[in-house]
Amino acid sequence: MSEGPHLLNQNFNCVCVCVCVCVRIKELCQQFPHGITDQVIQNDMPHLEPQQRAMAINKLLSLGQLDLLRNSSGLLYRMKDIQSTSKMKGSDNQEKLVYQIIEDAGNKGIWSRDIRFKSNLPLTEINKILKSLESKKLIKAVKSVAASKKKVYMLYNLQPDRSVTGGAWYSDQDFESEFVEVLNQQCFKFLQSKAEAARDSKQSPMVQRNSSFATSHEVWKYICELGISKVDLSMDDIETILNTLIYDGKVEMTVIAAKEGTVGSVDGQMKLYRGVNPVIQPTGLVRTPCGLCPVTHTHTHTHTHTHTHCVRGCPCLTSCFLSSGV
Amino acid sequence: MTAQEVRLCGLLLREHFGEVVEKVGRHLIRSGAQNLRTLLHETGISIDLVKKSLCVLVQHGVCVFSSGRKGPGSPTEYRTSCDRILRILRYPRYIYTAKTLYGDTGELIIEELLQRGDMTMSSTVKTVADRLTQNMEEGRSMDYSEVSSAFSKLVETHFLQRCPPMAAAATKNGAASATPATPATPGTPAAPVSTTLPTPESFPDCYRVPHVTLIGKGKRRLSNEDGEDQRSAKRAKIDSETHGDEGIYWQVNFERFHLHFRDQAIISAVANKLDQTSSEIVRTMLRMSEVTTSPTATCTKPLSANEIFRSLPSSYNIARPILDQYLTLLVDDPMEFVGKAGESGGGMYVVNLHRALANLARATLESVVQERFGSRSARIFRLLLRKRHLEQKQVEDFAMIPAKEAKDMLYTLLSQNLVQLQEIPKTPDYAPSRTFYLYTVNQLPTARMLLQNCYKTVANLIERRLFESKESKRLLEKSQRIEAILASLQASGAEPEQLTEVEEMITAPEKQQLESLRLHINKLDSAENQVDETIFLLESYINSTVTS
Amino acid sequence: MAGKGRGVAAFTFNVEALGIGRGSMPEARVGPSPLFPNTDFKPVPLKAGEEEDYMLALKQEMRGTMQRLPHNIKPNSNKAEVEKYTERYLKQKQMEDDEWTPDWNLFPKELMPQKKKPRVKPGTKKKTVISRKDAEAVLSKLDELAKNDDGNPEKSDDETEKKKGNEDEEEIEEEEYEEEDIEEDNDYIESYFDNGEDFGAGSDDNMDGEGTY
Repeated sequence: MSEGPHLLNQNFNCVCVCVCVCVRIKELCQQFPHGITDQVIQNDMPHLEPQQRAMAINKLLSLGQLDLLRNSSGLLYRMKDIQSTSKMKGSDNQEKLVYQIIEDAGNKGIWSRDIRFKSNLPLTEINKILKSLESKKLIKAVKSVAASKKKVYMLYNLQPDRSVTGGAWYSDQDFESEFVEVLNQQCFKFLQSKAEAARDSKQSPMVQRNSSFATSHEVWKYICELGISKVDLSMDDIETILNTLIYDGKVEMTVIAAKEGTVGSVDGQMKLYRGVNPVIQPTGLVRTPCGLCPVTHTHTHTHTHTHTHCVRGCPCLTSCFLSSGV
Repeated sequence: MTAQEVRLCGLLLREHFGEVVEKVGRHLIRSGAQNLRTLLHETGISIDLVKKSLCVLVQHGVCVFSSGRKGPGSPTEYRTSCDRILRILRYPRYIYTAKTLYGDTGELIIEELLQRGDMTMSSTVKTVADRLTQNMEEGRSMDYSEVSSAFSKLVETHFLQRCPPMAAAATKNGAASATPATPATPGTPAAPVSTTLPTPESFPDCYRVPHVTLIGKGKRRLSNEDGEDQRSAKRAKIDSETHGDEGIYWQVNFERFHLHFRDQAIISAVANKLDQTSSEIVRTMLRMSEVTTSPTATCTKPLSANEIFRSLPSSYNIARPILDQYLTLLVDDPMEFVGKAGESGGGMYVVNLHRALANLARATLESVVQERFGSRSARIFRLLLRKRHLEQKQVEDFAMIPAKEAKDMLYTLLSQNLVQLQEIPKTPDYAPSRTFYLYTVNQLPTARMLLQNCYKTVANLIERRLFESKESKRLLEKSQRIEAILASLQASGAEPEQLTEVEEMITAPEKQQLESLRLHINKLDSAENQVDETIFLLESYINSTVTS
Repeated sequence: MAGKGRGVAAFTFNVEALGIGRGSMPEARVGPSPLFPNTDFKPVPLKAGEEEDYMLALKQEMRGTMQRLPHNIKPNSNKAEVEKYTERYLKQKQMEDDEWTPDWNLFPKELMPQKKKPRVKPGTKKKTVISRKDAEAVLSKLDELAKNDDGNPEKSDDETEKKKGNEDEEEIEEEEYEEEDIEEDNDYIESYFDNGEDFGAGSDDNMDGEGTY
């Protein structure tokens, strides 16, 4: 949309500006935040010369206070964010350019290196501008969880995207490991009790299996009602946790087709989770300290080492194996 | 074979056959096929002992020999294999399994055969009947016919098989014979020299029980009979009787036992994962296909739901529609123990033998990582098993483990060779900044590595056990001596006071020491047995990938 | 970055690219692995139950039996000068069929023992008579052995041994073995493992194993 001001801006000298007209136009724009047409201004100030009107509009456009949009019914003027534009007063064009780039990046933010590519300005210059914008509280730097050492920039008043903050699992860019593990345990507890209840129901095997399943929505609801989370968790968040349980080998997931609009269904599919029993007991190897001893597994050790170490004096064999009860 | 295998084989040979046999055995393992002359030369053991050792190894099926490999008339060569020696570790399990399947008689038959290597049916039956009689109450005895029938059953179910007949012609004529030994095809003149030995099953009579004339009962050994009498008694026995099965020797068919172990592992896995009834259904399916499915088949022959229903033991009390539900659930289960092979006959089902082994091996690897590195490392390990290739960042995100910890865990797993790292360069210059680093788990090589760890572990346990007993050698000797004195005093009808006096020669602290030694050795022995279960599973899985 | 990195942990690439660089390596990797490393995780208790107990008993019994069977070969040790009481006692425990006789139909004949000179030192042996029917074969054998003999002086001893074991069996049967013809035609039945003199049951070394319970 930026070509608008460019088009009209070209060869006009703003010598005589009717400030009143400008103020009125801004008032109108605030009244109609979606934008006003030329006709609206004409109707509001029928006595105004078209030239004066044009000059006032161009003045506003050149100050960056007004945006010119084009839609099906013609041209549309819309107010730019008043706060930022007022703060942009006194900024040079480079600063505006950088600001624009950062604004375009939205709440995902942008790395300074990418700003350099887009603006073609030297990095030192960019750093200077960023500093200046930061000090004016126009933009802010946010540490991204994706790359801990890199900061991304976004407009000051924006709420950073999940991809930047890490969502519910981060507080101040720190991963809340304990929180995750607590949720992991609680989700499993829920699924486990569901599976137990199903087993105890003594119904037909098929009914038993089916009633051991829980949808992600059910788990989500359970966790929300538990009230253990200070932050709002989405169903996606819960599915992320449920996935860790799958990798823990404790839970299995099946996808079934669901009628559109069923609670917890996404795109006509629904994820079902159930707690499962381990398929084997801990294997014999790990019932011996040697099966756990890291030395056993290094590739460089010699026979003599084995001999003196594991056979005679290995504290694992003596302490935690032989001297413990039967 | 690896250094670990050789070390463990050596220890097993030493424990069962002594140090000389161990030395000969180890030498054979390392050098492959060897003739007597080189063996003598290279081991430096006296000819007498080398010959005896070879006899012992051959007798126990640990060593095979063949002649004429290097052309007609070339000397007899001896070979051994780690695989066969490692079976010694599993002897208790073979015996125990025979007990569960065929009672005390089956147990003793297998035990005797494992102790002697091979035996004729008649001498096995007599020995076992004697042993059983010994344990019966006074006046009762075990009939030969009963033991014979147990023996026949073990043969019918292929747990026992005939030792492959030796290339009679070749050995009788000795190395000087011009006809090369090709036992598999007797009567084929000048057959090409075979380098692979025939399997016992390549002989048609492998599972044919000969006609044995054997009537009688087990004999009780009188308590006052000493060694000399027994010996002469035995000699007399050998001299006097023939039973019609002389020269037909039997051995334990380990492969058949292994199929049974495999089936048991699948059944118990199903019981763990699903429930008892499901496992009984799988047991029934496995039993039905025992005869029809080849030992190396990837899955059983398809069975219809109708057949399965008819074969279910009535005690299970499963209605037909319920069976269908169970079968559906088994097929649905991600472990894929059971697969559906068709729709006829109410649905055709198979047990996925190899897939089950692969899944059990996977669970074994997971179990090892879980116990060795904790559940969060195990989460990463499972994640990599399922997702194949992941970048470190992806691992962190999926496993929900903070970057630093995940990095440490990945590094530890990497350094233990439990996970691997792949570089995928985006540009041909392999610049690190333009390269993907993908973590991955390769199940088969990891299983192979863990198998080696198992061998090493068992060898460590054995050495530790030897060390423990050596430490207490004096005390052990003392207690044995006192036992001996007690035994002879008891036999001569000594006074109780006398006995107590002798008993007290072992002091209280000594008793304690003996007790703790006993506990230690029990623990180490049990651990050996239990690690062998891991060995079995990993070996079976690895072998299944070769055949399938 | 340039000077180090490659081969830090025997990888073919720069591990630093993974973030496993200096400083972020796990502590234990800085020096050699400690001799007695801490195993962070304790082993799972052994399975215990009837089955385990029974297999334990079977294992120990098996070991005890195997050590008493003649298949357990004791080295020719004459170290034990004086027979101890224990040894005499242990000797009694030897299995009844101390003399194990392989069925020579199933064994290579060259493994048959030489009864008459069981302890003859290698090298002092003389060649025995060669039977007519085998003479030819033996000659060709000798040729072959001569060819193989690539200047190793020790080999001649073995050759003699070898010939005795391998080719002279017919003679051995006739001349050197007491015949106990019980079975078929060519029986080599022989008290192979005569107890006592050659490999005594009770030398110290043999009992190095462990007590069997």
